Amino acid sequence: MNPTLLLRTWRAQRAKLLAVVLALAAWGFCMPVIYAAYGAQFQHIVDSGLIPRQMTDLLSDIGGGNIFSLGGAIALGFIHPIAVALICVFAVGFAASAVAGERQRGTLEVLLARPISRRNLIVTLYVATVGFIAISFAAFMVGTALAAGLWGVARELDPVALGALWLNGVLMFAAFGAVCLAASASFDRLTPALGIGLGYLLASYFVDVLGSLWPDARGVQPLSLFHYVRAPAVLAGRLDPVDLVVLVAVATVALTYALIRFPRRDIAAPS
Amino acid sequence: MGIIVTEGLSKDYGRAIHALDDLSIEIRPGEIFGFLGPNGAGKTTAIRLLLGFLHPTAGRATVLGLDAERDSVAIRRRVGYLPGGIALYDTLTGLALLDYLADLYGRPAPRRAELVERLELADETLRRPLRDYSRGMRQKIGIVQALQHDPELAILDEPTEGLDPLMQRAFYGILDDLRVAGRTIFLSSHVLAEVERVCDRVAIVRQGRLVALEDVAALLARRRRHVEIRVRGAAPSLDAVAGVSGLVVRDGLVSCDLEGDVAPFLAALVGADVADLTIEPAHLEEAFLELYAEAPAVGAGRAGHAPSDVGPVGGPVR
Repeated sequence: MNPTLLLRTWRAQRAKLLAVVLALAAWGFCMPVIYAAYGAQFQHIVDSGLIPRQMTDLLSDIGGGNIFSLGGAIALGFIHPIAVALICVFAVGFAASAVAGERQRGTLEVLLARPISRRNLIVTLYVATVGFIAISFAAFMVGTALAAGLWGVARELDPVALGALWLNGVLMFAAFGAVCLAASASFDRLTPALGIGLGYLLASYFVDVLGSLWPDARGVQPLSLFHYVRAPAVLAGRLDPVDLVVLVAVATVALTYALIRFPRRDIAAPS
Repeated sequence: MGIIVTEGLSKDYGRAIHALDDLSIEIRPGEIFGFLGPNGAGKTTAIRLLLGFLHPTAGRATVLGLDAERDSVAIRRRVGYLPGGIALYDTLTGLALLDYLADLYGRPAPRRAELVERLELADETLRRPLRDYSRGMRQKIGIVQALQHDPELAILDEPTEGLDPLMQRAFYGILDDLRVAGRTIFLSSHVLAEVERVCDRVAIVRQGRLVALEDVAALLARRRRHVEIRVRGAAPSLDAVAGVSGLVVRDGLVSCDLEGDVAPFLAALVGADVADLTIEPAHLEEAFLELYAEAPAVGAGRAGHAPSDVGPVGGPVR
């Protein structure tokens, strides 16, 4: 890893990181507030039998979360498209453009004219990507914990479980980041790298949501990386280590591919 | 031992494009070496092979005694590189970029102050974002970043592109100083006057193949120069003089082309009543055009046969 490159990468992304951190903290803040304000009322309505049980079961299954418990509300916010889109600024946007973007702009050769190996470049950019993701998710957790404390529902929250969810989420998006970085290291233009990264993420999300809505499609859910973040179970203290192993394995395979592929590629003159 | 040695270095892009074909050269320590050829001749491909950006299809290259493919990081630690049409990080200021690129070497930039002064990069200019820089200013920053850490070898791709004549002159002065300091310069260019002005030796490539490699002075000495003599009375007999061709005599004006040694020609003028004599200086441009005329292309993407003044095939040309 190259500390100078890492520092420069962080500096270049600091404004973007600040915006994402603030947005995710605000989003994380909303979940306990919504639960505290409306959770009990929703539960009354459900208990009254006004809404058919099948409907509430379906609602509580979508994305693995519901707002009838604090854990469910946090889980819903965690995998909500808003949170996913914000994290993707780094997991997909930054990672996919990390090499291909530099290549397209022509700055990659200025960088590679220094004594930096291509593998070193990939490792440094991946460390930066994971760091951005970790900080962004930490902001979500801080917002959640803060709101839970201010709205008097903090006792329903287990800090260790919250930490476990943070780790699980970081590993999932780190796996997406590794796939996007591998795509980035494979193309000279940003568009295909971004297309592959974004396409993989959207397909993963779609497969997971489809499996949660349609029992017949549950068999394909393991193909989705989102399947390996079971937020309600994690918040209930039931983190499955196999999920972490799968996410680490995907990230390792993608990163290994990038570390093998990139040094073998020709870096032709920018067109 | 040569600073840069290539042996049969070749690079194909797919089956159709032969960007560089069997390049064998050796660049000596302390020389300024011109690598000349039109756009698309293979100059940049050769440079990128030397720096490990490209992997050769055949052959090998060593730079500073290190294998260009296997030891490219160690090579880049000791080399300064100016890419052609350099792209910069537009959000950074000139100073921040120079600091960043110097930090990546992990050592000081002892030549920066001198280079900045000679290229007239004012402090306030260096504090402005690079997106505000003109093409010439960007090129100056490119030159500084390539040379600021005082590399043993500088590889410069079209270094004066975008520089005004005054700055070109300043740049040539920098090259002269580097030569005095014993640094080696590999300079790619298609500006013939530039190569003629600064280089000790020149290699000419065409369609990926080396067509000539020799001292600039020797190349110029052999070139055909146009001569005009105004005489009073009878014209001297020049038909049999070695190197003379295209002789025309009309109304007391003798014009011809002269190739090679000038002494026999001057000896032939003894006795003639010469009113005026003009020998146009030889330029690399003519040499270049002649070499190109002599080397016919063979097939798309392939160069023709090298003329007789090219060094031995299969080994580095010294």
